[in-house]
Amino acid sequence: MNRTHVTFLSMGIVAAALAVLAPAASAQDADFPPPEVIATLTPTYFEGHAAYWYHDHWHYRDARGAWGFYHDEPAFLRDRRAARPVDRHFYTTGHSVFHGGRR
Amino acid sequence: MFIHMAIDTLGAPPEKKAQLDKIQSDLFAALAPARDAHRALLSTLADGVAAGNVDKTKVDAAVAKVQTASAGVHAATIDALNALYKALSPEERAALMDKVKAHAAVWKKVNADEDPASKDKGSHLAKLTETLGLTSDQADKISAALKQGAPPKPDSAALDSHLTALETAFTSPTFDAKTLATANAANGYIAKNGTARMVRFYETVTPLLTPDQRTKLADHLRKRLNDRHATASTPATTP
Repeated sequence: MNRTHVTFLSMGIVAAALAVLAPAASAQDADFPPPEVIATLTPTYFEGHAAYWYHDHWHYRDARGAWGFYHDEPAFLRDRRAARPVDRHFYTTGHSVFHGGRR
Repeated sequence: MFIHMAIDTLGAPPEKKAQLDKIQSDLFAALAPARDAHRALLSTLADGVAAGNVDKTKVDAAVAKVQTASAGVHAATIDALNALYKALSPEERAALMDKVKAHAAVWKKVNADEDPASKDKGSHLAKLTETLGLTSDQADKISAALKQGAPPKPDSAALDSHLTALETAFTSPTFDAKTLATANAANGYIAKNGTARMVRFYETVTPLLTPDQRTKLADHLRKRLNDRHATASTPATTP
Protein backbone atom coordinates (compact mmCIF):
# COMPACT_ATOMS: atom_id res chain seq x y z
CA MET A 1 0.00 0.00 0.00
CA ASN A 2 1.46 3.30 -1.05
CA ARG A 3 1.31 5.86 1.74
CA THR A 4 2.57 9.37 2.08
CA HIS A 5 3.61 10.59 5.51
CA VAL A 6 3.63 14.27 6.30
CA THR A 7 3.92 16.57 9.24
CA PHE A 8 0.80 18.62 9.86
CA LEU A 9 0.51 21.67 12.04
CA SER A 10 -2.91 20.54 13.13
CA MET A 11 -3.77 23.51 15.33
CA GLY A 12 -3.38 25.99 12.52
CA ILE A 13 -5.74 26.84 9.72
CA VAL A 14 -3.03 26.50 7.13
CA ALA A 15 -1.34 23.13 7.06
CA ALA A 16 2.37 23.07 6.53
CA ALA A 17 3.31 19.82 4.93
CA LEU A 18 6.63 18.06 4.59
CA ALA A 19 6.79 14.98 2.48
CA VAL A 20 8.98 12.31 3.99
CA LEU A 21 8.50 9.06 2.20
CA ALA A 22 6.63 9.88 -0.94
CA PRO A 23 8.88 10.35 -3.93
CA ALA A 24 6.96 13.34 -5.21
CA ALA A 25 4.47 15.03 -2.94
CA SER A 26 2.41 17.55 -4.85
CA ALA A 27 0.43 20.51 -3.57
CA GLN A 28 -2.58 18.23 -3.59
CA ASP A 29 -0.76 15.95 -1.14
CA ALA A 30 -0.65 18.75 1.45
CA ASP A 31 -4.42 19.09 1.47
CA PHE A 32 -5.11 17.67 4.90
CA PRO A 33 -8.36 17.99 6.83
CA PRO A 34 -8.50 21.25 8.80
CA PRO A 35 -9.61 21.35 12.45
CA GLU A 36 -13.24 22.07 11.58
CA VAL A 37 -13.35 18.83 9.60
CA ILE A 38 -11.56 16.73 12.23
CA ALA A 39 -13.93 18.13 14.85
CA THR A 40 -17.10 17.24 13.01
CA LEU A 41 -16.42 14.27 10.76
CA THR A 42 -16.93 10.74 12.08
CA PRO A 43 -13.85 8.61 11.36
CA THR A 44 -13.54 4.98 10.43
CA TYR A 45 -11.02 2.95 12.43
CA PHE A 46 -8.51 1.02 10.38
CA GLU A 47 -5.01 -0.32 11.09
CA GLY A 48 -5.08 1.07 14.63
CA HIS A 49 -6.00 4.65 13.85
CA ALA A 50 -8.93 6.85 12.96
CA ALA A 51 -9.20 7.55 9.24
CA TYR A 52 -11.04 10.56 7.84
CA TRP A 53 -12.38 10.75 4.29
CA TYR A 54 -11.53 14.22 3.05
CA HIS A 55 -10.88 15.54 -0.45
CA ASP A 56 -10.97 12.09 -1.98
CA HIS A 57 -8.43 10.50 0.35
CA TRP A 58 -8.45 8.71 3.70
CA HIS A 59 -6.30 10.72 6.13
CA TYR A 60 -4.99 9.52 9.48
CA ARG A 61 -2.48 10.36 12.19
CA ASP A 62 0.24 7.76 12.62
CA ALA A 63 1.84 6.55 15.85
CA ARG A 64 4.35 9.44 15.75
CA GLY A 65 1.56 11.96 15.50
CA ALA A 66 2.23 12.83 11.87
CA TRP A 67 -0.66 13.11 9.45
CA GLY A 68 -0.64 10.91 6.41
CA PHE A 69 -3.01 9.51 3.84
CA TYR A 70 -3.53 6.43 1.77
CA HIS A 71 -2.57 7.04 -1.83
CA ASP A 72 -4.57 3.97 -2.84
CA GLU A 73 -7.83 3.47 -1.03
CA PRO A 74 -7.73 0.28 1.07
CA ALA A 75 -10.49 -2.15 0.20
CA PHE A 76 -11.83 -2.11 3.77
CA LEU A 77 -12.22 1.66 3.75
CA ARG A 78 -13.61 1.69 0.24
CA ASP A 79 -16.22 -0.87 1.27
CA ARG A 80 -17.09 1.09 4.41
CA ARG A 81 -17.51 4.28 2.42
CA ALA A 82 -19.74 2.54 -0.06
CA ALA A 83 -21.82 0.91 2.66
CA ARG A 84 -22.19 3.92 4.95
CA PRO A 85 -22.37 7.60 4.02
CA VAL A 86 -19.75 9.81 5.66
CA ASP A 87 -21.28 11.17 8.86
CA ARG A 88 -20.61 14.88 9.27
CA HIS A 89 -21.94 16.94 12.15
CA PHE A 90 -22.05 20.71 12.27
CA TYR A 91 -21.88 23.33 14.93
CA THR A 92 -25.00 25.06 16.13
CA THR A 93 -27.42 27.01 13.99
CA GLY A 94 -26.05 30.31 12.90
CA HIS A 95 -22.46 29.17 12.97
CA SER A 96 -20.75 29.67 9.67
CA VAL A 97 -17.27 28.31 10.09
CA PHE A 98 -17.70 25.05 8.29
CA HIS A 99 -17.71 24.94 4.55
CA GLY A 100 -14.86 22.54 3.89
CA GLY A 101 -14.82 18.81 3.65
CA ARG A 102 -16.19 17.19 0.57
CA ARG A 103 -17.88 13.95 1.24
CA MET B 1 -17.31 20.78 26.78
CA PHE B 2 -14.91 20.05 23.93
CA ILE B 3 -14.76 16.44 25.14
CA HIS B 4 -18.55 16.22 25.32
CA MET B 5 -18.78 17.54 21.77
CA ALA B 6 -15.97 15.27 20.55
CA ILE B 7 -17.83 12.14 21.63
CA ASP B 8 -20.63 13.05 19.20
CA THR B 9 -18.49 12.18 16.18
CA LEU B 10 -16.03 9.71 17.67
CA GLY B 11 -17.37 6.81 15.65
CA ALA B 12 -17.02 4.23 18.42
CA PRO B 13 -18.62 0.83 17.69
CA PRO B 14 -22.35 0.36 18.39
CA GLU B 15 -21.69 -1.94 21.35
CA LYS B 16 -20.20 1.04 23.21
CA LYS B 17 -23.11 3.35 22.47
CA ALA B 18 -25.01 2.84 25.72
CA GLN B 19 -21.84 3.28 27.77
CA LEU B 20 -20.79 6.42 25.91
CA ASP B 21 -24.31 7.83 26.07
CA LYS B 22 -24.20 7.41 29.85
CA ILE B 23 -20.80 9.12 30.07
CA GLN B 24 -21.99 11.96 27.85
CA SER B 25 -25.05 12.31 30.01
CA ASP B 26 -22.87 12.47 33.13
CA LEU B 27 -20.65 15.08 31.51
CA PHE B 28 -23.69 17.07 30.47
CA ALA B 29 -25.00 17.01 34.04
CA ALA B 30 -21.61 17.99 35.43
CA LEU B 31 -21.53 20.97 33.10
CA ALA B 32 -24.95 22.20 34.23
CA PRO B 33 -23.69 25.02 36.49
CA ALA B 34 -21.46 26.37 33.71
CA ARG B 35 -24.23 26.00 31.15
CA ASP B 36 -26.77 27.73 33.41
CA ALA B 37 -24.38 30.58 34.12
CA HIS B 38 -23.73 31.05 30.42
CA ARG B 39 -27.43 30.98 29.65
CA ALA B 40 -28.03 33.61 32.32
CA LEU B 41 -25.41 35.78 30.64
CA LEU B 42 -27.05 35.28 27.24
CA SER B 43 -30.40 36.16 28.74
CA THR B 44 -28.99 39.32 30.31
CA LEU B 45 -27.45 40.30 26.99
CA ALA B 46 -30.71 39.59 25.16
CA ASP B 47 -32.60 41.83 27.59
CA GLY B 48 -30.04 44.57 27.10
CA VAL B 49 -30.10 44.28 23.32
CA ALA B 50 -33.90 44.42 23.29
CA ALA B 51 -33.88 47.47 25.55
CA GLY B 52 -31.25 49.21 23.46
CA ASN B 53 -28.77 49.39 26.30
CA VAL B 54 -26.72 46.53 27.72
CA ASP B 55 -26.62 46.98 31.49
CA LYS B 56 -22.95 46.77 32.40
CA THR B 57 -23.56 46.06 36.08
CA LYS B 58 -25.85 43.13 35.34
CA VAL B 59 -23.57 41.81 32.64
CA ASP B 60 -20.50 42.01 34.86
CA ALA B 61 -22.34 40.06 37.54
CA ALA B 62 -23.38 37.42 35.00
CA VAL B 63 -19.83 37.18 33.65
CA ALA B 64 -18.50 36.70 37.19
CA LYS B 65 -20.90 33.78 37.64
CA VAL B 66 -19.67 32.20 34.39
CA GLN B 67 -16.11 32.41 35.64
CA THR B 68 -17.02 31.00 39.04
CA ALA B 69 -18.87 28.12 37.42
CA SER B 70 -15.95 27.38 35.10
CA ALA B 71 -13.72 26.87 38.12
CA GLY B 72 -15.87 23.90 39.15
CA VAL B 73 -16.02 22.19 35.79
CA HIS B 74 -12.93 20.02 36.06
CA ALA B 75 -13.69 18.66 39.53
CA ALA B 76 -17.23 17.84 38.46
CA THR B 77 -16.12 15.92 35.38
CA ILE B 78 -13.28 13.81 36.81
CA ASP B 79 -15.30 10.63 37.27
CA ALA B 80 -16.85 10.88 33.81
CA LEU B 81 -13.46 11.47 32.19
CA ASN B 82 -11.98 8.45 33.96
CA ALA B 83 -14.95 6.35 32.83
CA LEU B 84 -14.50 7.62 29.30
CA TYR B 85 -10.84 6.63 29.29
CA LYS B 86 -11.75 3.11 30.40
CA ALA B 87 -14.48 2.80 27.80
CA LEU B 88 -12.28 3.64 24.84
CA SER B 89 -9.62 1.72 22.95
CA PRO B 90 -6.20 3.34 22.43
CA GLU B 91 -7.07 4.40 18.88
CA GLU B 92 -10.39 5.84 20.04
CA ARG B 93 -8.61 7.79 22.77
CA ALA B 94 -6.18 9.21 20.23
CA ALA B 95 -9.05 10.13 17.92
CA LEU B 96 -10.90 11.78 20.79
CA MET B 97 -7.86 13.92 21.55
CA ASP B 98 -7.56 14.93 17.89
CA LYS B 99 -11.17 16.02 18.01
CA VAL B 100 -10.76 17.90 21.28
CA LYS B 101 -7.76 19.77 19.84
CA ALA B 102 -9.71 20.46 16.67
CA HIS B 103 -12.68 21.86 18.59
CA ALA B 104 -10.27 24.03 20.57
CA ALA B 105 -8.63 25.25 17.37
CA VAL B 106 -12.00 26.24 15.94
CA TRP B 107 -12.91 27.96 19.20
CA LYS B 108 -9.66 29.94 19.11
CA LYS B 109 -10.19 30.86 15.49
CA VAL B 110 -13.66 32.22 16.16
CA ASN B 111 -13.17 33.66 19.64
CA ALA B 112 -9.57 34.82 19.67
CA ASP B 113 -7.89 34.86 16.27
CA GLU B 114 -10.59 36.42 14.13
CA ASP B 115 -10.40 40.20 13.79
CA PRO B 116 -13.48 41.35 15.74
CA ALA B 117 -14.00 44.15 13.22
CA SER B 118 -13.80 41.86 10.20
CA LYS B 119 -16.62 41.98 7.68
CA ASP B 120 -15.24 39.05 5.70
CA LYS B 121 -17.50 36.17 4.76
CA GLY B 122 -17.97 33.90 7.76
CA SER B 123 -17.05 36.57 10.30
CA HIS B 124 -19.34 37.46 13.17
CA LEU B 125 -20.14 40.80 11.64
CA ALA B 126 -20.88 39.29 8.24
CA LYS B 127 -23.25 36.86 9.90
CA LEU B 128 -24.89 39.68 11.82
CA THR B 129 -25.26 41.63 8.59
CA GLU B 130 -26.97 38.67 7.00
CA THR B 131 -29.17 37.89 10.00
CA LEU B 132 -30.37 41.43 10.66
CA GLY B 133 -30.16 42.89 7.17
CA LEU B 134 -27.70 45.58 8.19
CA THR B 135 -27.06 48.36 5.72
CA SER B 136 -23.50 48.77 4.49
CA ASP B 137 -23.34 52.01 6.47
CA GLN B 138 -24.36 50.19 9.65
CA ALA B 139 -21.84 47.42 9.01
CA ASP B 140 -19.11 50.01 8.47
CA LYS B 141 -19.98 51.84 11.68
CA ILE B 142 -20.12 48.63 13.70
CA SER B 143 -16.82 47.48 12.24
CA ALA B 144 -15.19 50.80 13.12
CA ALA B 145 -16.63 50.68 16.64
CA LEU B 146 -15.41 47.11 17.16
CA LYS B 147 -11.97 48.08 15.90
CA GLN B 148 -11.68 51.05 18.22
CA GLY B 149 -10.09 49.99 21.48
CA ALA B 150 -10.17 46.31 20.58
CA PRO B 151 -8.31 44.30 23.22
CA PRO B 152 -5.13 42.50 22.21
CA LYS B 153 -5.39 38.87 21.19
CA PRO B 154 -5.42 36.84 24.40
CA ASP B 155 -2.47 34.65 25.28
CA SER B 156 -3.72 31.09 24.88
CA ALA B 157 -0.84 29.45 26.75
CA ALA B 158 -3.15 28.11 29.46
CA LEU B 159 -5.35 26.35 26.93
CA ASP B 160 -2.46 25.13 24.81
CA SER B 161 -0.63 23.71 27.83
CA HIS B 162 -3.73 21.90 28.96
CA LEU B 163 -4.39 20.38 25.55
CA THR B 164 -0.84 19.03 25.48
CA ALA B 165 -1.09 17.67 29.02
CA LEU B 166 -4.52 16.17 28.39
CA GLU B 167 -3.45 14.44 25.21
CA THR B 168 -0.31 13.05 26.83
CA ALA B 169 -2.26 11.74 29.81
CA PHE B 170 -5.26 10.43 27.88
CA THR B 171 -3.16 8.46 25.42
CA SER B 172 -0.99 6.92 28.14
CA PRO B 173 -1.42 3.35 29.42
CA THR B 174 -3.04 4.68 32.60
CA PHE B 175 -5.07 7.80 33.25
CA ASP B 176 -6.48 9.68 36.20
CA ALA B 177 -8.19 12.97 35.45
CA LYS B 178 -7.46 14.11 39.01
CA THR B 179 -3.84 14.62 38.03
CA LEU B 180 -4.64 17.18 35.33
CA ALA B 181 -3.39 20.29 37.06
CA THR B 182 -3.77 22.45 33.95
CA ALA B 183 -7.53 22.01 33.53
CA ASN B 184 -8.81 24.84 35.71
CA ALA B 185 -6.58 27.42 34.05
CA ALA B 186 -7.72 26.28 30.61
CA ASN B 187 -11.39 26.43 31.60
CA GLY B 188 -10.80 29.86 33.08
CA TYR B 189 -9.16 31.04 29.86
CA ILE B 190 -12.13 29.90 27.80
CA ALA B 191 -14.70 31.37 30.16
CA LYS B 192 -12.89 34.69 30.47
CA ASN B 193 -12.06 35.26 26.83
CA GLY B 194 -15.18 33.73 25.31
CA THR B 195 -17.48 35.86 27.43
CA ALA B 196 -15.39 39.04 27.16
CA ARG B 197 -15.47 38.96 23.38
CA MET B 198 -19.17 38.17 23.28
CA VAL B 199 -20.10 40.91 25.74
CA ARG B 200 -18.01 43.51 23.94
CA PHE B 201 -19.65 42.54 20.67
CA TYR B 202 -23.20 43.10 21.93
CA GLU B 203 -22.34 46.20 23.93
CA THR B 204 -20.83 47.71 20.79
CA VAL B 205 -23.43 46.60 18.31
CA THR B 206 -26.63 47.40 20.23
CA PRO B 207 -26.61 51.22 20.03
CA LEU B 208 -26.03 51.04 16.28
CA LEU B 209 -29.10 48.94 15.49
CA THR B 210 -32.66 49.97 14.71
CA PRO B 211 -35.39 48.91 17.18
CA ASP B 212 -36.54 46.16 14.81
CA GLN B 213 -33.01 44.85 14.43
CA ARG B 214 -32.55 44.86 18.21
CA THR B 215 -35.73 42.84 18.63
CA LYS B 216 -34.57 40.35 16.03
CA LEU B 217 -31.12 40.06 17.58
CA ALA B 218 -32.56 39.60 21.07
CA ASP B 219 -34.80 36.82 19.73
CA HIS B 220 -31.77 35.22 18.11
CA LEU B 221 -29.91 35.30 21.42
CA ARG B 222 -32.85 33.82 23.29
CA LYS B 223 -33.00 30.95 20.80
CA ARG B 224 -29.43 30.15 21.76
CA LEU B 225 -30.60 29.56 25.32
CA ASN B 226 -31.99 26.26 24.08
CA ASP B 227 -28.74 25.22 22.46
CA ARG B 228 -27.65 21.98 24.10
CA HIS B 229 -24.00 22.99 23.87
CA ALA B 230 -24.51 26.59 24.98
CA THR B 231 -21.52 27.36 27.16
CA ALA B 232 -18.55 29.62 26.83
CA SER B 233 -16.72 26.83 25.02
CA THR B 234 -19.09 26.64 22.08
CA PRO B 235 -17.34 28.03 19.04
CA ALA B 236 -19.75 30.79 18.17
CA THR B 237 -21.39 32.94 20.77
CA THR B 238 -22.35 35.63 18.32
CA PRO B 239 -24.60 35.19 15.26
